[in-house]
Amino acid sequence: MTTEYMNEEHTAGADPEDVVLEVDHLSVTFPSDDGPLPAVREVSYRLRRGEALGIVGESGSGKSVTSMAIMGLLPKNAQVRGSARLMGQEIIGLSDKEISKVRGQKIAMIFQDPLTSLNPVYTIGYQIAEAVLAHKKVSKKAAMDRALELLEIVGIPSPQQRLKQYPHELSGGMRQRVVIAIAMANEPDVIIADEPTTALDVTVQAQVLDALQRARRETGAALVLITHDLGVVAGQVERVGVMYAGRIVEMGPVEEVFYRPRMPYALGLLGSLPRLDGDRSERLTPILGSPPSLRDLPVGCGFAPRCPLARERCHEEEPRLVLTNGDTDRAAAQEGDTTVHTAACHFSDELVGAEATDLFRPTAVDTEGVGSVEELETAESSVAEAREEYREESKAVSESATEGSTEPEVLLRATDLVKHFPIRSKGLLRRKVGEVQAVSGISLDLREKETLALVGESGCGKSTTARLLLNLIKLTSGEVSYMGRPLQGLSDRQMRPLRKDLQLVFQDPFASLDPRMTVSDIIAEPMRIHGRGNGDAKDRVKELLDLVGLNPEHGSRYPHEFSGGQRQRIGVARALSLNPKVLVLDEPVSALDVSIQAGVINLLEDLQEELGLSYLFVSHDLSVVKHIADRVAVMYLGKMVETATTEQLFSAPAHPYTQALISAIPLPDPVKERTRERIIVTGDIPSPANPPSGCRFRTRCPKFANVLSDAQRTKCVEEPPELMDRGTGHRDACHYSEVVELI
Amino acid sequence: MLVYTVRRIIGAIPVLILASILTFVMIDVSGDPLAEVRMAQPPPSPEVLQQAEERLYLDRSMPERYWLWVTGIGGNGDIGLLQGEFGPSTQGPQYDIGSNIAERLWTTLRLIGAAMVFALGLAIISGVISALRQYSKLDYTLTFVGFLALAMPTFWFAGIMQAAGVKFNQLVGEQVFATIGDGRFRAQGEPLWDQFLNAFAHMALPTIVLMLISFASWSRYQRTSMLEVMNSDYVRLARAKGLRNHTVIRRHALRTALIPLTTVVAIGIAGIIDGAILTEVVFQWRGLGDFFITAVDNNDSYALMGWLLLSGVVVILANLIADLLYAVLDPRIRYE
Repeated sequence: MTTEYMNEEHTAGADPEDVVLEVDHLSVTFPSDDGPLPAVREVSYRLRRGEALGIVGESGSGKSVTSMAIMGLLPKNAQVRGSARLMGQEIIGLSDKEISKVRGQKIAMIFQDPLTSLNPVYTIGYQIAEAVLAHKKVSKKAAMDRALELLEIVGIPSPQQRLKQYPHELSGGMRQRVVIAIAMANEPDVIIADEPTTALDVTVQAQVLDALQRARRETGAALVLITHDLGVVAGQVERVGVMYAGRIVEMGPVEEVFYRPRMPYALGLLGSLPRLDGDRSERLTPILGSPPSLRDLPVGCGFAPRCPLARERCHEEEPRLVLTNGDTDRAAAQEGDTTVHTAACHFSDELVGAEATDLFRPTAVDTEGVGSVEELETAESSVAEAREEYREESKAVSESATEGSTEPEVLLRATDLVKHFPIRSKGLLRRKVGEVQAVSGISLDLREKETLALVGESGCGKSTTARLLLNLIKLTSGEVSYMGRPLQGLSDRQMRPLRKDLQLVFQDPFASLDPRMTVSDIIAEPMRIHGRGNGDAKDRVKELLDLVGLNPEHGSRYPHEFSGGQRQRIGVARALSLNPKVLVLDEPVSALDVSIQAGVINLLEDLQEELGLSYLFVSHDLSVVKHIADRVAVMYLGKMVETATTEQLFSAPAHPYTQALISAIPLPDPVKERTRERIIVTGDIPSPANPPSGCRFRTRCPKFANVLSDAQRTKCVEEPPELMDRGTGHRDACHYSEVVELI
Repeated sequence: MLVYTVRRIIGAIPVLILASILTFVMIDVSGDPLAEVRMAQPPPSPEVLQQAEERLYLDRSMPERYWLWVTGIGGNGDIGLLQGEFGPSTQGPQYDIGSNIAERLWTTLRLIGAAMVFALGLAIISGVISALRQYSKLDYTLTFVGFLALAMPTFWFAGIMQAAGVKFNQLVGEQVFATIGDGRFRAQGEPLWDQFLNAFAHMALPTIVLMLISFASWSRYQRTSMLEVMNSDYVRLARAKGLRNHTVIRRHALRTALIPLTTVVAIGIAGIIDGAILTEVVFQWRGLGDFFITAVDNNDSYALMGWLLLSGVVVILANLIADLLYAVLDPRIRYE
């Protein structure tokens, strides 16, 4: 892949003939009751034949709307201005008859959610053949043959049978490959992929990206890859455009933008990203505030309100996208040159050689209610001072405390947790016809003041385990104890006093706060339940809001007035209101945008240090886990496959599944991402209702498939591996584990 | 699919049995069929009363009577659903409930069938148009008409339509609409065209009355379901494939938007039977509605039981058909 990419780079010239898609000053405005919403403003770019262009941006940056406008798929009320020329043909404003000749034939699109982008009532084969028949006058038989061929190309096993199946019979990863097959059916010149892997697990993401590359090779199509994942961009494209508040703010070759960003936003985005290849001790540098509302965009640069570099000029004049060396003549001369690096910043020259840490501070506060950056700084420094003092005090205390005892106390202990959910028949009797083995024998300890991460892909049982630990659902068998006291069998009433110590933060900050309650009421509710709702509860709420970096005066507002990151902070404040000892964080940052996620991660780190909390951190995102966790437990299909300290696990993963997981996570570093060793996992996660015998991972294990002898394989099939200590507490459950260095 | 069908049919049997028990108990406890006879002046002799009770099997206990009603074992040969007998009537020994129901069933089914077909057809058309032209004048007009129809009680609207029919006939000076009777015996033996004209004249107004409420609610459902599908990812993907707009709407949007409607229609059957009684009374049809009213007037419990069970069977059947249709329309159901 690497060499191919290099070749393309060399052959790519500035020949205007070579441009397949030329977007010119494209703007999209949606009318709304509160006035027009300019979702996309003056976006221009060129796409060369066979080139891969990435468009990155956070939610609401207009990246999807741009491509929808090009495809003519926006709702009728959208006002689209500007032009988009596909192979020289203007495609904005075409009639239905004309645009349907272009769509699918010259330009194709892949959508985000594979579970909803196929029609549930038609077979896979029919839906692919339909794409062929829409543009080619061939027989149905020939179209079906082509569909079969396409399924083979995108790597779907036993394609002949799949043709006759319906979408619901395929996994998400398979369905997305079917969508890719549809996109490449007529060998288009351009494929637009809109977050094609966001809804998928990482190991499946790797497979789908692979299928996408194969589709490009096969058709020679140019690719526009829209994503929020900087890692995916780093590995898949040659050029990247960064969008913010409806505009492209930086564009250039991927190495240029990643290694030498010239727009503070791009720099900040990279700095706010927890990295698999980064150091744990490095603090993240979030971008303060949140993206501007499209309804009332700032006058000057859209990023100015969040930009630490912003000066007067930034608030008055919107910067144009110019060459980063400031040479406008050259820009004019090389109109068609797509290899240049451009940025929309008045002071981009000052960013030469800058690091994210030079501009952005590793803070945990939020800007809510703070007017300007200066004000914020004072606000922040006061908080920081308070925290610093607190920290030093607590450090002194904890140091003196830890001198004597060597091992911190175990707070939560789980032994052989098993949870089976019955599967019942549909009939009147609802007989039990099987069971989903969600959790099958998990043992773990959560010690005082540590962060234990529970990692795995969807369906591995990590959330179920978290719920079992809190006694929120009933165990099938096993034991859970909190500070030596067994929790199983406790009634709700007996459990209640313990709930104070064990609190939960949910994944979705939008669904976990009651929209009809004020923030104060939400935070005070746990106190009310535990009979502490009177008297100083109000002060306590203010204190908590301050603690999580929000303005204490905003308690009377409702959740909808806050952004996603702020809501998650409210969720944390609620969990903290009873002074818990243990916080179970179920994917606490996975619903947040990168630039906001960093602030919440910093907050969690600070709170742990300040309040001496223990975290059970449930996540699918290994980069975040690497950043925040002390110890990691990796789960696969209800079993723990490996557990170690973060340091051990990431530097020397021993289980093939852990290795595959780590290697499947794209690094936001173009060179590293393209050159590192890959351990590819095939297939999908088997159903937990019917897990494979012996080692549960063997059906997808690269080692089982490629390295082991038949005799060795027999052991994997027949004997479930136990978690074995490989020394220094690093345990894995593989008969043939072997340490590999991956990062 | 076959397994699914068989399972659904088997599943309908316990529901049917339950329906028969409920029907029987509800009617049986609701009144004494001989109440009027007992109250008559001068009072009838005990022998006559006893004879009447024996004829109507009122001398037996309720479980016994239920068993008799269903099986007919131990009866006089005029009772037992499984033998095709509905039981003795209070309207005299000559009044055969079974043949009366059979005779009127066709009349009512014709009305219900026609109303459903038109309601469904128009609901789909107007629902789709409303969805495609969301927030247009046409959409608002159709919405208004829908809510207007929902707001009008059947008996009232039937009266209005009848009066309007009479006015129209007077205006034209010819009897275009027959406003009274079902016209079953009018055109027998006439040429086909005349038979059709006759049927149209008699059916037009009652059908409009009966279909309107169903049309109104179904068209709302269809609009919502169509809107949802039009915004779905797979409709977008179908467009992105390069299919023409009309193909996308027909093949991808309408096809899937019809699925939820089957359930709504099946549930709506009970309401239509309701409406049919009222409509038949207003237009003086000799259908099952009229049969029902007469049975109530005469305290004719076996007739009522027969009628109620028949309605129950129709509802169960309709739901069964909807279930099967659902499976045909939605492959996700088939494999469960």
